[in-house]
Amino acid sequence: MKLVKVDHLCKTYGTGEAQVEALKNASFTLEKGEFAAVIGESGSGKSTLLNCIGGLDTPTSGKVWLNGQDLFSMSEEKRTVFRRRNIGFVFQSFQLIPELNVEQNIIFPLLLDYKKPEREKVEELLEVLGLKDRRNHLPCQLSGGQQQRVAIGRALITRPVLVLADEPTGNLDSNSSKDVMELLHQASRRYQQTILMITHNQNLISSVDHVFRVHDGVLSDLGGAYI
Amino acid sequence: MKSYLDLVSLSTKVNRKKSRLTRICIILAVFLVSSIFGMADMEIRCQKTMAIQDDGAWHAALRNITAEQAALISSRPEIKTGSFYACMNYRLDQDYSIEGKKAAICGFDESFLDLYPAAALKEGQFPQKADEAVVTQSVQKQLKLHVGDKLQLSTPDQGVLTYTITGFTGDTSLMTKWDAFGVFLNREGYLRSFASETLAEDFVYYVAFKPFCPIQKILDDICAQLSIPETQVSQNTKLLGLMLQSDNDFILKLYLSAAVLVVLVIISGVLMIANSLHTMVARRTEFFGMLRCLGACPKQIVRYVRMEALCWCKISIPVGLGISVIMIWGLCAVLRYLSPSYFSGMPVFSISWVGLISGAAVGILTVLLAARSPAKKASRVSPLAAVSGNAGTIREMKKAARGRFLKIPSALGVHHACGSKKNLLFMSGSYAFSIILFLAFTTAVDFMHHGLTPLRPYTPDLSIYSEGGDPAVSEEIVEKVKENPAVKKCYGRLYSDSVTLRQQDKIRKIHLISYESLQFQWARKSLVEGSLIESEEGQGVLIDYPASQYLTTGEEITLETAQGSVSLPVTGVLSDTPFNNSTGVVICSEKLFSEITGIHDYAVLDIQLNRQASEQDIDELRALAGTSLKFSDQRSDNQEVRSTYFAFALFIYGFLFIIALIAVFHIINSIGMSVSSRMPLFGAMRAVGMTVKQLICMIISEASVYIAGGIFLGLLVGLPVNYVLYSSMITSHWGDPWKLPVSSLSVIVILTFASLLPAVAEPAKRIREMSVVDTIHEQ
Repeated sequence: MKLVKVDHLCKTYGTGEAQVEALKNASFTLEKGEFAAVIGESGSGKSTLLNCIGGLDTPTSGKVWLNGQDLFSMSEEKRTVFRRRNIGFVFQSFQLIPELNVEQNIIFPLLLDYKKPEREKVEELLEVLGLKDRRNHLPCQLSGGQQQRVAIGRALITRPVLVLADEPTGNLDSNSSKDVMELLHQASRRYQQTILMITHNQNLISSVDHVFRVHDGVLSDLGGAYI
Repeated sequence: MKSYLDLVSLSTKVNRKKSRLTRICIILAVFLVSSIFGMADMEIRCQKTMAIQDDGAWHAALRNITAEQAALISSRPEIKTGSFYACMNYRLDQDYSIEGKKAAICGFDESFLDLYPAAALKEGQFPQKADEAVVTQSVQKQLKLHVGDKLQLSTPDQGVLTYTITGFTGDTSLMTKWDAFGVFLNREGYLRSFASETLAEDFVYYVAFKPFCPIQKILDDICAQLSIPETQVSQNTKLLGLMLQSDNDFILKLYLSAAVLVVLVIISGVLMIANSLHTMVARRTEFFGMLRCLGACPKQIVRYVRMEALCWCKISIPVGLGISVIMIWGLCAVLRYLSPSYFSGMPVFSISWVGLISGAAVGILTVLLAARSPAKKASRVSPLAAVSGNAGTIREMKKAARGRFLKIPSALGVHHACGSKKNLLFMSGSYAFSIILFLAFTTAVDFMHHGLTPLRPYTPDLSIYSEGGDPAVSEEIVEKVKENPAVKKCYGRLYSDSVTLRQQDKIRKIHLISYESLQFQWARKSLVEGSLIESEEGQGVLIDYPASQYLTTGEEITLETAQGSVSLPVTGVLSDTPFNNSTGVVICSEKLFSEITGIHDYAVLDIQLNRQASEQDIDELRALAGTSLKFSDQRSDNQEVRSTYFAFALFIYGFLFIIALIAVFHIINSIGMSVSSRMPLFGAMRAVGMTVKQLICMIISEASVYIAGGIFLGLLVGLPVNYVLYSSMITSHWGDPWKLPVSSLSVIVILTFASLLPAVAEPAKRIREMSVVDTIHEQ
């Protein structure tokens, strides 16, 4: 089942001489539960692709379908609600709320959707994340790896169909990176969630289902099992 | 945690330090409004108590109406109390007396005692029968009377009338002043003996309305329904004015001025708080972007910012109110201490609910209004702001900085200030408001100078005068007074009220007084238009402000007396004279006065004493007055007026000081916040080689642009506001034309510029202590 369909996606910044084509006619699809990675040099257009798929940025042309819904035919308000229910984000710099503890950070997206967190689901997630004994800790009391696990938990709590991860291991040491990758794989397998991850780390893509490369805004499909 | 909005309270607790300045802004706004309303409330309460004590608690008096009309009025649902009242020998000019002492006889219903608390029963009960009476306490003391004793009242036509005393009332000020007795009867007793001799206009029906009635509308209604001419209705203007129910033009203008000042305070509060909220939002662009990424819609962000602002109110409003209550208590105590007789009714430890409610309401309203724009700004933050990592640090600029005329740090500073026109307008506008507020409240100082009759240069310590303004203070007395070593200055006025003024085809009686050289010299300050020279030389006359309503400077008038007539031009208008009269006064030189009227002796001789003057000196001067002249010692009155003036001055100047302080604080605060929001940029600038000195220079130029803009806008709006308020509060009442308020203007402009120093000092310290690596890392 095709969960994500990207069709001739283009994104151009600026006008005239300052015009930059960040994405040129990118098209691909992702299956439900698939774990895909996007690689490429700095400034190649990887983040632009991720932002457009996540509905954070508006493409110049082209379409993005998620679960059969055209993201950019929706109003801004509707797209925001759709995003909070269907897409989870994991950032390189974690972006946790410093005033909230681990558990509060994880349930925060549910509160934004005016939903009451289900106790069992939160417990299960904390168990999976290995943060049960740290639930009352503030982000500043956690290591980088633990903080990123909290960020992943926050992305998973709404059970989104798609998780977008922008260099999730960029700020982590190798052991923590391994943990985070393991978690993302688990999410993909356990909750049948589609994961699209941007990474610079060639070692991480060996375990993913699908690899794309972006070079000067052009997307190429490197297929599965790149190495 | 049950809602995403719970993050607000958690965040507020953690970021207490970061929001400190915003909370101080809210505290100041609440304090300012609550203090204004609170003090106004206390003053109104004090004045109301004193007005009721002096003039009674009645609202309207209807003269010469029939019993049927009175019954119809009292049956109206809006009337709280209505009472018949009539008086005989009120002017003490008829031969009604008790044991040789003049007596005034009043008749009224028992309910009148509620309308006139000064005459409340001290002992006994109100007369129930026609031959019963209550008398004032002075009668009781002087004649050693008791309840049940008989009182004999001598009358010119009915011989001696005998009354049984049923009680005693307090002394009214009129009775005390003229050392007369007051006899109060019930309606039946009065009508039986005095109805036929009482003038029609001395039959009055006093009414007091229930609270919150539209009194003016009801009075119009009563007059229209019962065909009562408006001339028969008089109002307790002072009390109605204090109840905000007066239709008096001057009082209405005062209300309007007060309303303008309150609106200015609110706008100033909104700008001050909005400014700091804007900076707070600008500093957290990435946070709002992250919330958007997590799925918060713009409306939720708006709600978040609003809730955050309201959360600060939870502590700031009570603190602001608390400080205002303490301030009000302190001020009330000081006012009572400095001027006990003027402020005896001032409550000391009383709570002004009006002040508290208005302070809290204005606080919440101000915060909600102030949060509108920053909340919208926050809601427009793109979710990309969280992902891109450099959110808010690179501002969109349309033009590059111009370094041709200024060195690059100054050019960058000016460019930062002018880069966003909205920001420039906002910062300058908020500074301008402090200036506008200061200029607006400055008119209160002028109002105080006029309204409180502070001690004028001509205010005497002692006066020797004749009764009825006769020319009885001879040259001999004047010479003897001048010889007394205790006398510092001595100056007199000739007076005549029998001069006819012919103005083209109009004729009117006027009061003519004379000035000598000292008084002409003092008159310079109150000269509204024209000049003094001609009148001092006997070539013209001066007029006071009431007379300027029908006379103009340069106009030729003719003064006619038994001695003949003389035509002279009006050469000037004075806003203030020692002789207050609503119909107007004409002033000329002594020589001219004598030529016109043939009068050479003063009606009044005013004396100012040396500091060393002893009681013996005063007694000697008193002896000069003898029995034919009156002697008035005004030293204690002057002391009282001086204290009152100082008390008011303390209040008004204190208020101006607070406004000036807020202006300074606001500048320091906003420059500090503006620098904080640019700290990462400054870190980067330091990293590329900019020195601390250059950064400070950049901040100084940026702040200077805001301050210069603020002063420009402040003067542009503040001066017209000052003009309008001055015209409605002072020119319309005393005639003084508006002048550029140079001293207040200089104070606020210098202060605003001077605040640049402390405003830059704190950011400069932070920049000096800044770690370049950490600051860039924050970015």
